[in-house]
Amino acid sequence: MEKNPSKGYVALLGWSLNAIEAAETFDRRYVVVAPDWAEDYCKKYDIPYIPWDYERLNDRSMEIAQTLQEMGVDVAIPLFEETVEWAGAINSVLMDNPRLLGQSMLMRDKSLMKRRAQLGGIRVGIFEEAHDREDVIRFLKRVNQTLLKLDGDPNDPIHFKAFDKAGCLGHRVIRTPDDVDAIPDDEFPALMESHLDGWEFAVEAWIHNGKIRFLNISEYVTLGYSVFVPASPELERYRDLIAKQIEKLIRTFDIEFGFVHPEYFVTSDDEMYFGEVAFRPPGFKVFELLERVYGFNAYQAMILVFDPKSTEEEITSFFPKEVVDAKRHAGCFGVYPRRRVVSKLEIPEETEDHPYFESHELTPPLEETVTKRTAFGTHWGLVYFAGEDPHQLRDLLKRQEELDFYI
Amino acid sequence: MDNETPAPDPADNRLPGLLQKFDEATRTLAQAPGFAKPAKLARVLDTARRVMLQPGGCAAIEERSQALEEAGLYHGSDWATPQILVPSLTTHSLKSPDMTTVVIESLSELRLLAVARGDYLHPLISQEQAHHYLSQVLAMNLALLFTGPSEAERETQGRLAKVPRLLLQHLASRIGYEHVIDRLIEEIWRILHQRPIQVDSVKQMITQIAICQVDPDIDLGTSGQGADRLVSSLYGPTQSCREDPGVAVFADRLRAMDSQALQLEATGFARAMHDTGLVSPYHAVLLRHLMGQGDHLIGEALGLSSTGRDCLLCYRELVKDLIREAVHPTTPQSVYGLALMLERGILYQPAVAPSLWRQLALPLSPCSRDRLFMAYGDLASPRALLLEGVLCMLGQPLGVGQGNNPTCQSARALSMWAFNDPDYLLQMVAWAARDDEIIMHFEGQPISSRESLSGVAGELPMDLDAVSLLVVPHLDRIYAEMGRRCVDRGGDPHRWVNPEFHGWWSGRGFRINVDVGTGLLVDLEDFLRHFYASYHPYYNGNQPLIHPQPAGIAVTDSAGRFIGWHAITILRVALDPEDCMRVYFFNPNNDSGQDWGDGVTVSTAGNGERFGEGSLPFEQFASRLYIFHHDPLERGELADVSAEELDRVIDHIRRSWGAERLPENQLQADPGPQRG
Repeated sequence: MEKNPSKGYVALLGWSLNAIEAAETFDRRYVVVAPDWAEDYCKKYDIPYIPWDYERLNDRSMEIAQTLQEMGVDVAIPLFEETVEWAGAINSVLMDNPRLLGQSMLMRDKSLMKRRAQLGGIRVGIFEEAHDREDVIRFLKRVNQTLLKLDGDPNDPIHFKAFDKAGCLGHRVIRTPDDVDAIPDDEFPALMESHLDGWEFAVEAWIHNGKIRFLNISEYVTLGYSVFVPASPELERYRDLIAKQIEKLIRTFDIEFGFVHPEYFVTSDDEMYFGEVAFRPPGFKVFELLERVYGFNAYQAMILVFDPKSTEEEITSFFPKEVVDAKRHAGCFGVYPRRRVVSKLEIPEETEDHPYFESHELTPPLEETVTKRTAFGTHWGLVYFAGEDPHQLRDLLKRQEELDFYI
Repeated sequence: MDNETPAPDPADNRLPGLLQKFDEATRTLAQAPGFAKPAKLARVLDTARRVMLQPGGCAAIEERSQALEEAGLYHGSDWATPQILVPSLTTHSLKSPDMTTVVIESLSELRLLAVARGDYLHPLISQEQAHHYLSQVLAMNLALLFTGPSEAERETQGRLAKVPRLLLQHLASRIGYEHVIDRLIEEIWRILHQRPIQVDSVKQMITQIAICQVDPDIDLGTSGQGADRLVSSLYGPTQSCREDPGVAVFADRLRAMDSQALQLEATGFARAMHDTGLVSPYHAVLLRHLMGQGDHLIGEALGLSSTGRDCLLCYRELVKDLIREAVHPTTPQSVYGLALMLERGILYQPAVAPSLWRQLALPLSPCSRDRLFMAYGDLASPRALLLEGVLCMLGQPLGVGQGNNPTCQSARALSMWAFNDPDYLLQMVAWAARDDEIIMHFEGQPISSRESLSGVAGELPMDLDAVSLLVVPHLDRIYAEMGRRCVDRGGDPHRWVNPEFHGWWSGRGFRINVDVGTGLLVDLEDFLRHFYASYHPYYNGNQPLIHPQPAGIAVTDSAGRFIGWHAITILRVALDPEDCMRVYFFNPNNDSGQDWGDGVTVSTAGNGERFGEGSLPFEQFASRLYIFHHDPLERGELADVSAEELDRVIDHIRRSWGAERLPENQLQADPGPQRG
């Protein structure tokens, strides 16, 4: 697409084809900052590119900020958890605002994030940091004592989340000391939280000039398996409450612009508990779902709210009206093979023949033996559904858990 | 007047909903920049598959063909250039277990249908071309049109097996069955003209036609008339079996005939057989019946000339034993093999008749029996099957095919031996079938097929004639082992392997025009002058080629692009009826009639070819040649070929497989026809 030189120039931190595609078809200039394995591809397809190794921290780190500054880049956009603090560091240089680095560090550390939230008057569950397995055992015991459990009663679970892993990676549910033994060393340090019996959901919010410009509520059908947007009316009725929570978040973390992806619990007494917040696109392809529902490209929306040169009119005309403008509900289901040995991919007929079934991203199995899932694990691919009725969609997503896609 | 049909039950009619999804997927693909298109394909293809499974789905996709192509569906694939697509490849792609392949092939056919109907003006392929192409696709896949999925297809394709069937039904209803049948008949004749040993697939196609002809629901119009000879040659070649009465009834009728009636039958069968190369099971019944009647009628039934008749009379006991053992209604092609073998006069070579006596008594190893059973079932005894194979190979040395296997070298060797050294072939068959081992020597060192690890082919090939079925696995391993023994020598291993593998008559002199290390062309002009000097009668003192010689060809596709190296045999170089100098050669690939692009089309009939030969004008052949052998002692002067003629050959190379192989300095020295 023809680039508009009077608009901002953005750097995309990390490699995401969908993001690049969105940038390519948007009127902002862009450059991809990605590891050097991406170089051949970018050359082949004329994608503007700067090589950068995010793994290696060294004294050349300032270089990337300077390079981008010299190129005239206005802002860096993080695409993955691992590039969030890079974006903060780079933007603090580009925008001459050191506070941005501190803000991004908060977003990367689940424990600091919670404390800051707590200080801002946001409700969080009981949490603690764990540096070794001892800490986990102690926390598990203490949480269950508070719940007045007797020895021998089944424990209430606790949640264990590695500090620097995104989404469901490194997220474990711990019930027994055996579960504790199964945690590998590299998942420490970690954050531990008490389990809340509530309704968990996620929010995607685009923020510009300190205000929410678009707020989506993603309803989990089963955590780690399925999600759909917009949420069902039962969850959408909390929209005002949720918006208030996000505004609190914006104030507490001092967010002027950008994109946040927090998770909350709402308990039976309508109380909102903050889980965590990420400063990058969500993992479970919610962006894709939003495009199917509202027709706008969520990556372009990110570029828009990050770009300091975006105008108020541009922003207002870009975003549709939440829920009202949704053409349908769309959801996706992450497939895990249910059998220990699989030989081929076969979409169940009942799935394929359902009028809500849209498409899938599953590929034939590469190996026959299925490795045992650790933590929440990684799904083998997503199946997309869309339709008018959120309840039918929810039941359909739930039903997929009982079906074999790999046999 | 109200013409509207009542809307179908919405639950049954998923098409509108699916089409909406399909259009959205297409739009997403169209809007994506080039690098992002591959990621959008899966959704388009999968949705297309579901659309095609619905009633009216194929028609809906046909309507959207242009939009789909413009969205970039075929971007970067062979389907982007429909003018070079080869109809015969669709038989594989439509049966592929891979959804992507089946669907993209189907979408491409529907697109060509839109072109053929004049609804889509395509920049690369004309309405007529598209029509022609689709007729061939239909002919090739006729079985899919009229039969349900086989067990094998269900196993590999599952629900997907429905897609090619629905596609072909749609194509046939839009193109018309009459085009299908006529094109198919043409195709069958073209294949039969090469007289392949394996005729099962041809027989299947003929059977398909016969079924269509009697089906009252299929209106063939005036088409299909040329099929009569084909159908009758299998199911009723003569008056007494015209209505296909069954083998038992026919045998009864024979018993009631006098010698004059039998004479009529015999000539009728012989004519049908020599016309088509196909043998009816009734023919086998007749021949067995004639065993008690006298040699004259046997000669008639085999359709022998005076040469064959003479041979029959000299070796009557052997021939009768061969008939008794090999000719059964389930092995009818043995009759044709026997007739042609007698015609070749090879029984007069001292070792051949005794070798055939050995063959008659040859005990087969359990392993050989198993392989014959696995490939052909138990309709005939393994021994009869093998004898039939032996007779056919000796009678039709140029009818050997490699099947769908990378074993062109072994197939070429079998053909060459059958042609030039028949008792050696029979020796190989005996070793393989009886001993499960063949030992050949490479530069004095024995190589056993048992000890060699692996051949060129990854799995044991099954789709072969009976002789190849047993011998090729051994030859393939030995050939690969010979190659392994040359790995540390510089240059192309065929220099040493070919003469040792094929026979003493393969010239020890060797020329190659490709540098093995770089893949670039080297010494092109010398190579060509030397080839002219060795093979072209105008430059070699008018010396006809004495022995068949192995040669290597750079095979190109119909767009002239390099596909791979291929082994062939040069059989003779001679003037054709139009006084054009042609190279006649054997190609172990099952169908020699191939379009190699840039105007180079291998002819199999009409230019002086004998059955099984392919031919090209000398220049065109030279332009695809990359290896040949010659007698180093006879190496004379490089031929004084005119510069224009050499330029024509080199231009052919430049425009095809040599395009990216020309050394750089040559490009600089020769500006070539860059403009114009």
